[in-house]
Amino acid sequence: MLLAAVLLAACGRPEPPQLSQGTLLPSAKPVTDFQLTDHHGQPFSLENLKDNWTFTFFGYTHCPDVCPTSMTMLGQVQRKLEQQEGLDKLPQMVFVSVDPERDTTELLSQFVPYFHPDFIGASGDEQNTLKLTRQLGILYGKAEGSAADNYLVDHSAAIILLDPDGAFRAIFGIPHDPELIANDFLAIKNYYEATQ
Amino acid sequence: MKRILLALIVSAWSLLATADSELQVENAWVREAPPSAHMMAAYMTLKNPGSSDTVLTQVDSPAFDHVMLHKSEVVDGVARMIHQDDILIPAQGSVELKPGSFHLMMPTPEKRLVEGDRVDFILTFSNGETIRLQADIRKKP
Repeated sequence: MLLAAVLLAACGRPEPPQLSQGTLLPSAKPVTDFQLTDHHGQPFSLENLKDNWTFTFFGYTHCPDVCPTSMTMLGQVQRKLEQQEGLDKLPQMVFVSVDPERDTTELLSQFVPYFHPDFIGASGDEQNTLKLTRQLGILYGKAEGSAADNYLVDHSAAIILLDPDGAFRAIFGIPHDPELIANDFLAIKNYYEATQ
Repeated sequence: MKRILLALIVSAWSLLATADSELQVENAWVREAPPSAHMMAAYMTLKNPGSSDTVLTQVDSPAFDHVMLHKSEVVDGVARMIHQDDILIPAQGSVELKPGSFHLMMPTPEKRLVEGDRVDFILTFSNGETIRLQADIRKKP
């Protein structure tokens, strides 16, 4: 403990944590503003990221396999963190639709809270969705050969972690393990707080 | 006598052939979907203890309007679902239909299916064999 304190004082800054599942960005990337609407019909923008840790997953409600799997997994992460002693505030979990054409606020309001009552669903027009996804390296688009009214959407499967400054801090590629993601989150949060 | 013997040999052979090619389905389940979901997915393990490959060509269910064969794949971090015309089950091998891989995709029925419900599926294979099975609706990842 003493040695750690001496080392910390000597080096000035703590070392970035070794993560089990996630990848920490060498330096957090600030996100510029975007305008989405949450599943209650309220605006959801950069302002909503401030002072919160935020996990985001990008998917669509017509997706029967990958999206429910990831959302259920995020529900498990949240329930693990709820049991974590000493955690002052839980992260917010945000499902951003990559199919705003079909994912209405009403659809999102039934889909997203199913996985956890505190989860937030958000969608916006193409321009604002792209404004956010492009900053986070998220790709999406209608699958080739899809019909106009019955289509599949290809989308990045990664989960993104944003810090309380609203900056892109870490990325979790698949496969996702709730235990490892919860532990990585705590390590990232501790590192963030130690370096402020 | 010769004819009887021949008949016995033939029927013994066909019994062996049936036992050899008997396909097995294990752990069939359907993921409970959120209230507004339009699609559901079903999973199971298909085992082929026989000595020749077989192919799952069609799945029907009285519980759903139609059933599609699909596979989820993640390539360069991007998840996509690919329609499958059929699914090969190799000789003396198995295929697992599981989240993030092969699965059955069905449009949600009018009456929402919830954990505890059971639905029937009829699987048809390229050798003409059909298997009827029941799958549980489960709430799991």
